[in-house]
Amino acid sequence: MAMELIFSLLQQLSVYLVIAYLLSKTPLFMPITTVSGRLSQRFSCYILFTLFCILGTYFGLHIEDAIANTRAIGAVMGGLLGGPLVGFAVGLTGGMHRYSMGGFTDVACAISTTVEGLIGGLMHSYFVRRGQSDQIFKPFTVFTVTLVAEIVQMFIILMVAEPFDKALHLVSAIALPMVIANSVGAGLFMSIIQDRKTIYEKYSAAFSSRALKIAQRSVGIMSQGFNEESTKEIAKIVYEETGVGAVAITDREKILAFIGIGDDHHLPGTPISSGYTRRAIDGCELVYADGYDIPYCCSLHQKCRLGSALVIPLVGGNNEVLGTIKLYEPKRKLFSTVNLTLGEGIAKLLSNQILTGRYAQQQALLTQAELRLLQAQVNPHFLFNALNTINAVVRRDPDKARQLIQHLSQFFRRNLKQNIETVTLEEELQHINAYLEIELARFSDRLNVDICVSPELLNIKLPTFTLQPLVENAIKHGTSSLLENGKITLQGYCNKGCIVLEVEDNAGNYAPIGEESGLGMKIVDKRLKNMFGRQYGLTMSYQANEWTRATITIPADAQQPIHTNGTNGETAV
Amino acid sequence: MIKALVIDDELYAREELIDLLHDTGEVDVIGSCNNAIEGLKKINTLKPDVIFLDIQMPQITGIEMLSMLDPDTMPKVVFVTAYDEYALKAFEDNAFDYLLKPVETCRLAKTIKRLKKECQEQDYSPLVSEMLELIPCSGHNRILLLAAADIETAYSDLTGVHIVTKDTKATTQLTLKVLEEKTPLIRCHRQYLIHPQAIREIKLLENGLAEITTQYGYQIPVSRRYLKELKDRFGLN
Repeated sequence: MAMELIFSLLQQLSVYLVIAYLLSKTPLFMPITTVSGRLSQRFSCYILFTLFCILGTYFGLHIEDAIANTRAIGAVMGGLLGGPLVGFAVGLTGGMHRYSMGGFTDVACAISTTVEGLIGGLMHSYFVRRGQSDQIFKPFTVFTVTLVAEIVQMFIILMVAEPFDKALHLVSAIALPMVIANSVGAGLFMSIIQDRKTIYEKYSAAFSSRALKIAQRSVGIMSQGFNEESTKEIAKIVYEETGVGAVAITDREKILAFIGIGDDHHLPGTPISSGYTRRAIDGCELVYADGYDIPYCCSLHQKCRLGSALVIPLVGGNNEVLGTIKLYEPKRKLFSTVNLTLGEGIAKLLSNQILTGRYAQQQALLTQAELRLLQAQVNPHFLFNALNTINAVVRRDPDKARQLIQHLSQFFRRNLKQNIETVTLEEELQHINAYLEIELARFSDRLNVDICVSPELLNIKLPTFTLQPLVENAIKHGTSSLLENGKITLQGYCNKGCIVLEVEDNAGNYAPIGEESGLGMKIVDKRLKNMFGRQYGLTMSYQANEWTRATITIPADAQQPIHTNGTNGETAV
Repeated sequence: MIKALVIDDELYAREELIDLLHDTGEVDVIGSCNNAIEGLKKINTLKPDVIFLDIQMPQITGIEMLSMLDPDTMPKVVFVTAYDEYALKAFEDNAFDYLLKPVETCRLAKTIKRLKKECQEQDYSPLVSEMLELIPCSGHNRILLLAAADIETAYSDLTGVHIVTKDTKATTQLTLKVLEEKTPLIRCHRQYLIHPQAIREIKLLENGLAEITTQYGYQIPVSRRYLKELKDRFGLN
């Protein structure tokens, strides 16, 4: 009789566990795999285990006006995973349900189920307090706790159920089968939860390792700047590590890199045409066109195989959108959840790298600028030429020689002061003037300089060493190659809300690429952009053998409202 | 007295050197100019014994100018430079005379002494380039640098040496001999050079003479002596 009961109970238990297993495949199960103590987790525990509690009662076998059942599993586990409160609630609900079904053990069962839930809950508190919450998930622990709880239940039945004889008879019949079935069942149930937990952890581990791998492989690439080369490398890494159909990286205007399906018509360098991308940039928001609810259709080519896209903005400092990274899947494939989540992480990583890269570039720029200053301070050729000129002048025209020495010392004194960041245009012009006096003496019979700057511009602030290198360049690489009649014009005026400063020579030798002068010009341009913004800076234009013109554009508000007492800026040299 | 020409692009440097040379009492500065093209002209007309040649000059540097001089009529050269390290190394290696700016009086005296003593020719070949890429010419009121490869023909007459390209005719200070040696041009007449690739037709005339028509339609005479060489060159014999 006892053996028969054990087997019947275990049979019922199997059905019960199959249901538990199936449920473990649903998202409903996710919250209970951790002991977070959050309200949502507790609530899930309550609902889920109350259901199992009731299920256990229904699956029970009717014996002598009582029910041999697996209700204890739900109560104990509810308590173990949800804490004393949840355990009590599950036990109480399950107990009330049992009570409603009647029989001579109804009150006893209601009380015992509540107590069982409470035991589970107290064990939960015990483990959590000792920092051993991982013990909760061990099937053996659950087995033991349920075993104890079931024994307690038997005692409660003996104590509460009337008449005692009947109760004793019942307990002697069901005690062993119920204790075994419930303990083993609870242990197995927990092992299902544990499996689920392991799978989830493996999944997270795979996710993290992929994310880490992308991060590791992309380190340092952005230090070259946010451009086609660097983004191409990043896109390749993301493409290889995520296995999506295609990866694109754009800046605010155009595609910088595209790799994967459709790279025959999604070409780097072409402007952004997708509305989703525009929306991601303009609204600084993640746009996901899954190709189902939100249709995705390639804006470039009708026969494009790409069917869904995830567009994530790359956000720099001040919430400025620097560009986007786009992941695509072909029409026959769906986005995996890993990639959806990973995408955002990659975007964050990339944004940070771009910012770090920019910072590194600025550092490099600073060093270059310092280098240039250093070079300018000790320019041996200039000094040599100046001394030779003075040496040559001194015999014929001692007064002129004295003047030249004064200009030279003025020039060097100013150079020494150039560790300051900005100067006014007036100061820069004085510096140029000192420089030009020397050069004019050197090329006396074949160089003319004309300086014409509006007086109201004299107070504008410029980065140090902005105009002087341009004038130096115009002589060194421009007029010095002319046999005669070299002419340099320096102009400053306002135009369409901008201040324009122009240095022009009449040689027209400007070679757009090459030589160290190129570096000097680049530094001037970058320092202007750093100070005033990207739309400003230095541009070079030339007409071969006619003229070369260096044009600086800066905002009109670089002008300070201070007025000097009627300085005449129209200096003719 | 040593007849000297000073070539330097800086006015004050030029004047200073002329003064210093004058002070030695042994040099007669017969002229000065401020670039190499002018310099070539003055060398041809004034025939100085020595030139004081600056290296850093516009368009054609002093070293480049050296390659354009006819070795047969070449004056002695004293280089004057401020800092050109590369050139200084070459001068040291080949024991050429050079002066550093600013010029020291006693150093200049040594140079003059050596100039008076030294009679044998200096070999400038280490500084001289094998081929000339650009040929300086004077056109109407301007100076041209013509690419050697573009020249169709060059010829000499009483007024000088003339160079003809597709659309330009200009006069150069370089001799036909220098042009023959340092450009792809070949000799077809005592007074004519022709670019082999510019020949469209060679018309054989009586008495072993011939006439070349060039790609752009110029007629060039071929003398008996050079016709044979021309034929050999094209394997026509």
